[in-house]
Amino acid sequence: MHIDARTLPDGSLLEGDVCIVGAGAAGISLALEWAASSRTVLLLEGGGFQYEPAMQDLYRGAIVGLPYYPLQAARLHQFGGTTGHWAGFCSTLDPIDFEKREWVSHSGWPLRQGELDPFYARAQSLLELGPDEYAAADWQRRDPTMVPLPVDPRVMWTKMWQFSPPTRFGTRYRNAIVDAPNIHLYTHANVCELEANEAVRAIDGLRIRTLDGKEHRARARVYVLACCSIQNARLLLASNRRARGGLGNVYDNVGRFFMEHIEMPCGHLALAPSHSRYMRMYALELGTTKARGEMALSAAVQRERRILNGTVSLEPGSLDETAKSTFEWGTPTMLDSLRAWGERGNPGAPPATSPGPAQAPRFFHLLTRLEQAPNPRSRVMLGDEGDALGMPRAMLDWRLTDLERRSFRAIYEVVGRELGRIGAGRVQVLDWVRGEGAWPRNLSGGWHHMGTTRMHVSPREGVVDPNCRVHDLANLYVAGASVYPTAGAANPTLTLVAMVLRLSDHLKSKLS
Amino acid sequence: MNRRRFLQLSAFGVTASAVSLGSGPAQVTPQELLDLLGPETVRGLGRRYREMVPAADLLSATTSRGSISRRIRDDFARGRTVVVGGWVLSLTEARQCALFSLLPA
Repeated sequence: MHIDARTLPDGSLLEGDVCIVGAGAAGISLALEWAASSRTVLLLEGGGFQYEPAMQDLYRGAIVGLPYYPLQAARLHQFGGTTGHWAGFCSTLDPIDFEKREWVSHSGWPLRQGELDPFYARAQSLLELGPDEYAAADWQRRDPTMVPLPVDPRVMWTKMWQFSPPTRFGTRYRNAIVDAPNIHLYTHANVCELEANEAVRAIDGLRIRTLDGKEHRARARVYVLACCSIQNARLLLASNRRARGGLGNVYDNVGRFFMEHIEMPCGHLALAPSHSRYMRMYALELGTTKARGEMALSAAVQRERRILNGTVSLEPGSLDETAKSTFEWGTPTMLDSLRAWGERGNPGAPPATSPGPAQAPRFFHLLTRLEQAPNPRSRVMLGDEGDALGMPRAMLDWRLTDLERRSFRAIYEVVGRELGRIGAGRVQVLDWVRGEGAWPRNLSGGWHHMGTTRMHVSPREGVVDPNCRVHDLANLYVAGASVYPTAGAANPTLTLVAMVLRLSDHLKSKLS
Repeated sequence: MNRRRFLQLSAFGVTASAVSLGSGPAQVTPQELLDLLGPETVRGLGRRYREMVPAADLLSATTSRGSISRRIRDDFARGRTVVVGGWVLSLTEARQCALFSLLPA
């Protein structure tokens, strides 16, 4: 069932069993899990079914730390959320990503090793991916032309990625949501405040506003925030009527530990012709490729070098040019083109993708996606300016540490040596990777916002518990990458959906 | 080693030790790098490397026995590498580049 909140009488009360705030990948995945149940699910989406500049403007915010992308362009505020312009990169986190690493402060997930595996398997179909296989050998078995580089597995390995079509949740699952009688989707329903009870032990209701001045309330047994890392934190911080620092923020953790994947061009590979046959494994044509590999350092080398996790991808190019960083390539105009392409059903090749690789390219750009170390000083706060609904805008203070710089250097030292050892060619490392000074001007993330409501068993160290429930609030949960304690080297969406499915099972058990 | 190459290297005093130990022109010809990057780039790398290290160190490229390619692989495996012009090179081939850069183009 769908209702536009602007059409409701002012002061309406919406009631259900489960109330989900935000209808992006997390919110829609969660709602779908309840589609055949006897529970009433309220799914509150701030935007509508289409892109609306006025809705995007609600996401505008200040940047006060390292330079960052315009916040209102980094996320889509509409049904389907940011899947409306994502590229579909999916991979699982590595075992080391869940571990407590003594050289990475605040690392370690409070989950058992392998606990997410069954949920990863379920998430594959929601994201329209292939088989739940992420070993290079599996893909080589399916396609014998996909042969991984013969690197020493004690040093490096080939990490596999799969590519969603990409699934546009807003179109792919619109009918399933709207046709489900127990899912009450309200669009243009912006939640502006979580109302805690007097003891600040539970949520009593939500205040909803529309841009045309109406105000409604929603009430449910449990509430799930699923409106992305920056907005989840913003909403908790702005809900400060009964708790001065905002809800879930007794220990000042809400908004802290904002993490990105640092996505940068780092060098070149001059490929030995004898190794051309391996490049099929690492090739990517967006819109066509189902799976490919990226080079990664083994867990043993990460431990030995005391560095962060990251991957190195190969893109045909020349030595005379440096590849663009993600933010350089993905201008707001480009993202808009991707969104429009998605609205047309992803026909043909995605906009602005490079032509297919040359027959046997000799030179490759080396691009790295590196996890950011959890850093309490990298954070989302409330700014002084208010938005059109009267909510304080977000303010992002993105900060990185020396560990990221050192990790980039170490990765390329190892990759350069190992590719030289196997005779695959020679690696050229860009100056900024070898330097120790300021970050380069093309510093870029991957639009992967994580960590602002991090998961930890202790409320002193995290905002949510291992079940994604906000510490000390009996009926408030968080879904999405904001609960990640560490970022890993994989794009967040697949893990995000897997975590949502795990949360859904928990809520079903709790409500039954 | 042909006569022309011998005379060229002799002018820089690097062939005596190489020849006396039975080394050939492969010792001063970074063939893999030449195949990958071409002579102009390799000469540039050699010039840069000569600025980085004392001349005496370059001679060691011509005074070790054994297969050059095996030594290069061994350098990479043991971390005996150096970054020249951003390129991660084995020490052996960096020295080869330096000597190669002394040859007339």
